[in-house]
Amino acid sequence: MEAFFDWFRWLYQETGINLTFIYDSYDRTRLLQGFWTTILLAFTCLFLSVIIGIVGAWLQGSRLKWTRRIVQGYIQFFRNTPPLVQLYFFYFALGGLMPKVQNDWGGYEPLLGNFAWAVISLSFFAGSFNVEIFRSGIEAVPTSTIEAAESLGYTRLKAYIHIVLPLAFRVCLPALNNNLVNLVKTTTLAFAIAVPEMLYVSSQIWSDNVNVREMMTFLLVAYIALVGILVGAMNRWERAMKIPGYGSQ
Amino acid sequence: MNFRLAKVLVFSLIIVFMSGQAALADVVDDIKARGKLIVGVKADYKPYGFRDTSGKIVGIEPELAQDVADMLGVKLELIPVVASNRMEFLKQGKIDLMIATMTDRPDRARMVFILQPNYYSSGTNVLATKKAGLKDWNDLRGKPVCGIQGSFYNKKTGQEFGAEIVAFKGTAESLTALEQGRCIGFVYDDSFIIARLQDPKWADYEMPLPTIDDAPWGLAVKHGEYRFYGMMSEMIMKWHRDGRIVELEKKYGITPTPFAVKMNQKYSDKK
Amino acid sequence: MFSPRNKRQIPSLNPKHRLAVLLPVSNNELHASATELNSDQSPVRRIRSVHVLGLIFVFGVSAFAADTQVIANEPSILKTILIWTPLLIKGFGFNILISFMSMAIGTLIGACLGILQISLLPPIRLSSKVLTQFFRNSPWLVLLFYCMFMLPFEINIGGLRIPFPDWIKAVIGLSLPVMANVSEIVRGAVNSIPSGQWEASESLAFTRRQQIWLIILPQCYKRMLPPWMNLYAILTMATVLASIVGVEEVMTLAGQVLAADGRPELLVPIYSFVLVWFFVYCYPIARWTVRLERKYTVKS
Repeated sequence: MEAFFDWFRWLYQETGINLTFIYDSYDRTRLLQGFWTTILLAFTCLFLSVIIGIVGAWLQGSRLKWTRRIVQGYIQFFRNTPPLVQLYFFYFALGGLMPKVQNDWGGYEPLLGNFAWAVISLSFFAGSFNVEIFRSGIEAVPTSTIEAAESLGYTRLKAYIHIVLPLAFRVCLPALNNNLVNLVKTTTLAFAIAVPEMLYVSSQIWSDNVNVREMMTFLLVAYIALVGILVGAMNRWERAMKIPGYGSQ
Repeated sequence: MNFRLAKVLVFSLIIVFMSGQAALADVVDDIKARGKLIVGVKADYKPYGFRDTSGKIVGIEPELAQDVADMLGVKLELIPVVASNRMEFLKQGKIDLMIATMTDRPDRARMVFILQPNYYSSGTNVLATKKAGLKDWNDLRGKPVCGIQGSFYNKKTGQEFGAEIVAFKGTAESLTALEQGRCIGFVYDDSFIIARLQDPKWADYEMPLPTIDDAPWGLAVKHGEYRFYGMMSEMIMKWHRDGRIVELEKKYGITPTPFAVKMNQKYSDKK
Repeated sequence: MFSPRNKRQIPSLNPKHRLAVLLPVSNNELHASATELNSDQSPVRRIRSVHVLGLIFVFGVSAFAADTQVIANEPSILKTILIWTPLLIKGFGFNILISFMSMAIGTLIGACLGILQISLLPPIRLSSKVLTQFFRNSPWLVLLFYCMFMLPFEINIGGLRIPFPDWIKAVIGLSLPVMANVSEIVRGAVNSIPSGQWEASESLAFTRRQQIWLIILPQCYKRMLPPWMNLYAILTMATVLASIVGVEEVMTLAGQVLAADGRPELLVPIYSFVLVWFFVYCYPIARWTVRLERKYTVKS
């Protein structure tokens, strides 16, 4: 293993290409942790944003005027403001208002840390787009199907869960995939509130070692690989879920 | 298709890597031909470089930059830089001179040409809550400490003392996080911390640890610019002789640092 | 489920208690919920001002809360923000300029790329597809970083030196994902034109170029408009990323204003202020997009 690392040290001496994140153990550990944090952040946000989308789409069809208005207000707020500023707002403004709990070093800090706020902010951001996507999926379910469900005695909620949602899901899957891929890319913003994800760790490595080019190239390759895997998996899933007779003309 | 995709990607990356840099003539000639001196300064570090309400960058370092421009007889253009890009900009040739609160360290001296004598000095210290009761740097082990992205002391504080560095983009974010209790302290230049502690709002905070890495700051020019280096060295000695640094410190409301006073005496005695 | 005992599950015919889809005939209540969300009549105008008022209320509350921490002889938070507003407005204008230029460059190149994606020659089709997928799948921030650090800061053509300021590099960095997205939009729109159009024009002896330019594209414009405007909204938000790479736009300036003032409690009011501006700029565009979407919906 040392021989492997030594080759990279030699590479630095000879060519000036400095890949410290391979041969230096501190940087290597940091970067692996950063990679893991990115994946954790991305999947948590994916999961939560889909749930928010489903719940939001349900609430949008509610009979109560104010429920609809609140959901609409939430969507417009999150779609029309930059996610970076939303992150700052959540972490510094709302984060500061949280009740303080005693932490392990004897100080008092607000309840939720920066990872939690990043998850909340990004999930709500992606969730607002998902609500619109699910709504368009729900609207694509033919009314005859819903009427049939109703005539069989399904309540609105049961019809939503058992009939409408499965059909709507398949119809809106392409748009949903697009949004989820965007979400994975947007997790890079968490670096602004010091969440130790891959971009943050890379920026620390390149400030310490001034190897900006190498780290940037690595980041580009790593994110393309990550997103590529996700897109591949999503495309597979899309093909498996395809309903004959629906889809692009 | 995937193999072809990989080939295209690899080729494009190689091409990007191999893009070379153009060679420049002597920078002093460039400045005189341009009629403008471009200096990189901080725009978010009061009182060394910060914005006034009209958007102009003012502070101790912009005034020093103006002195240099006056000496060369050209106009001055200030470019805001931050810790993470100031050396890159100098290397690329985007700025001719860097006066950006940069500590003089051997690994940096390899990247850029740091001018001697040093013009300023400060050390690293931590602004901490009194409640934390910190006595020693090792007390930071395992605790979250706020910092600024790109500062060199982040690595030492993180690696040697085992602190968990939580680095933000700007001082406002770090100070707010500190106030909210998200970190036990804020690791930064002691000059900044001393200035903050003079503000009554920070009465519950202290600077308990001994200042480490008391390292002088350096102005920098690009490697190979010997003529400019010579001119700037003379300039710095002149500043120390005339007490310009001490004068600027008083103007911007900070008590003159011991280093500035010492250098002033040293160079005025040499007369 | 069928037992008459359980009256709740049998839908009643009382108009107030039914699902919207049960009785399609009486359109008023059926469409009330849908149109309240989407129409441009007064309910939406009320909602629009309510949204902005809501945001201003949030901003005002945060400023007031921050004000309570201000010591007597310091200027109040609101006054401080008003003093710094001219500088921040310049920064915001810069954001808008970057978004316009990125959109223009990205749309031009992206439209060409999109048309190349439907080319009949496999190499062209393949390479444009690769390019599109590459730029679509990269995070915008990483592309921006890459352009900032990799592009030179000035270009020497012959003896002429052309300066390449930071914000132009940000424009190029942002126009790359825009180009990829526009390419996909164009391709999607072209693919949604029924194949009958292609066949009919071919039987009328149009060349491929004439087909695309005279027959297919004119039908595509309407379909492309709503997703294109949606992309513009996303791009406007993304211009804020340029602050991370050092461009002097509104977020960077907000950070510098905070450093110059030195009071941490100014953080939330200043960023809320910036939030309000973005909302006031983007919300009308969003509503206009919805209107266009409904106007140009293709009845299938």
